[in-house]
Amino acid sequence: MSIEISQVTVLSGARCLLTVDQLSIGAGQRVAVIGPNGAGKSTLLKVLTGMMPTHSGTVRILDSTFGANAPQKLSAAQWRHLRARVGQVMQGLHLVGRLSAQDNIILGALARRDVMSRWRSWSRIYPTPLRTQADVLLRQFGLSPQRDSRADQLSGGERQKIALARLAMQAPQIILADEPMSALDPTATQLACQFLNQLAQSATMLNVLHDVSLIPLVADRVLGLSQGRIILDCATDALTPEDLQRLYGSDAPERQTI
Amino acid sequence: MTAVKYSARNQFALWFGCYALLILACMWTLIASGDASWGRSPWQNLLKTMNEFSSPSFIDVWFGPTRLEYRSDDGALLRVENRQVLEVAFLQALARATWTTFQIATLGTFLASILALPLGLLAARNLPAPRLVAFLARTILNICRSIHTLIFGLILVGIVGLGSMAGILAIALHCTGTFGKLYAESIETLDMGAIHAVRATGATPAQVFFSAVLPAVMPQFVSSHLYIWEFNIRDSTILGLIGAGGLGLLISEAVSLFQWDRLATILIWVVILVTTFDTLSRRIRQALL
Repeated sequence: MSIEISQVTVLSGARCLLTVDQLSIGAGQRVAVIGPNGAGKSTLLKVLTGMMPTHSGTVRILDSTFGANAPQKLSAAQWRHLRARVGQVMQGLHLVGRLSAQDNIILGALARRDVMSRWRSWSRIYPTPLRTQADVLLRQFGLSPQRDSRADQLSGGERQKIALARLAMQAPQIILADEPMSALDPTATQLACQFLNQLAQSATMLNVLHDVSLIPLVADRVLGLSQGRIILDCATDALTPEDLQRLYGSDAPERQTI
Repeated sequence: MTAVKYSARNQFALWFGCYALLILACMWTLIASGDASWGRSPWQNLLKTMNEFSSPSFIDVWFGPTRLEYRSDDGALLRVENRQVLEVAFLQALARATWTTFQIATLGTFLASILALPLGLLAARNLPAPRLVAFLARTILNICRSIHTLIFGLILVGIVGLGSMAGILAIALHCTGTFGKLYAESIETLDMGAIHAVRATGATPAQVFFSAVLPAVMPQFVSSHLYIWEFNIRDSTILGLIGAGGLGLLISEAVSLFQWDRLATILIWVVILVTTFDTLSRRIRQALL
């Protein structure tokens, strides 16, 4: 198992943001997390990255265990080791505005000691192989002309593509993506889905999705959250319109067949 | 909607009224104390001053008499001056004083930018400094900022003696306050999202600093450095008045010897100097941001 959560609760004041009794995700699975606004999807991802502290329970990711009831706290170095293997695409993307598109992609490889020495990462004099790799990724997304543009001068879609390229650069074992396709046009969405699937061949992947038509493209398993609880957990093939209706209420989106 | 506009306009009228009252109060006290006068013969004095300033001394380098004879009332020759040579010597002194002024401004600014770094970091509201320490840092910055360079200079001349060092330290102390505030502000406007994103790749704190924090704050730091530097070049031209060396020393000399032509030369030079540096620094700052 690459992700295991047990008895986790997250509180915000008196409000319960997330309650998960048991959830395991096996290595190599592709999971879509869906649900209405405020259901706790982003909270679930933040719990998995350790960004959101839990009030009870344990989270086990790869070989690290943390959470309120974990036997011991992770040290800073252990956290870094874990984060290096967990690739994230956060809501809001968060590129470093003053660095070029290419530099932002290379930032994904900061923790990869095999390809990036310490002084190079400090001075931002990156090795040629990494630059070449970043150029390949830029070309893949059709962003070669923007290679040296500053990230804060890119459009929303371009920034999203850079965030995905940075994810690839990190070569993570687990991918946690919060609406990775939200700012992309249909063509770019197809491209991004293929890209994510390619990465998922050597990783476990969790995508928070709002567009349910994308589920079959990037997931074999669906988790439905509502009011902080997992009320739906099934294979993508077994997902029915009734499930979506139960999840989203009366005006559920139509699930398209592709 | 109109109600909101109306009340906003009323509020503005109220503030405006308060301001007008304040102006009136100031004028009234000025008149009541009898200080609202232009002196005995303002036009005559103005013409006299303009006349004295209209022939700045540097013209003498080319057009001055080579043999200016000073005679006593009975016609005995007292001394002979070569005005051209004297004015060349004065311009050389001006060049030396300019360098001193530049050196005071530059070293003072540099020292301040370093002194302010820890204080700015502690004072930034989005960094986790203990509350008491942050409060202390902010208080120190406020004290530094509220005491004028000249006053620091007066105090420091008494401590370290006359000369450039007093000027450098005066500028450093005053500008530490300004730098610290600007540093804290640029740290407070940092994009924390980008920092989290870089940390999320498993980067070490040093890597996060060099990859996400430094690129974001560096242009602002450099820009504020140039701005304060430029400001200090202006400020340090008068620091000499209190004995801290540089152009101000020449100014106070010229004023106390009533050499208005030399004062005119110095002032023209100061205007050129400050304008040049202003333009340069503005260009660089615009290119940075």
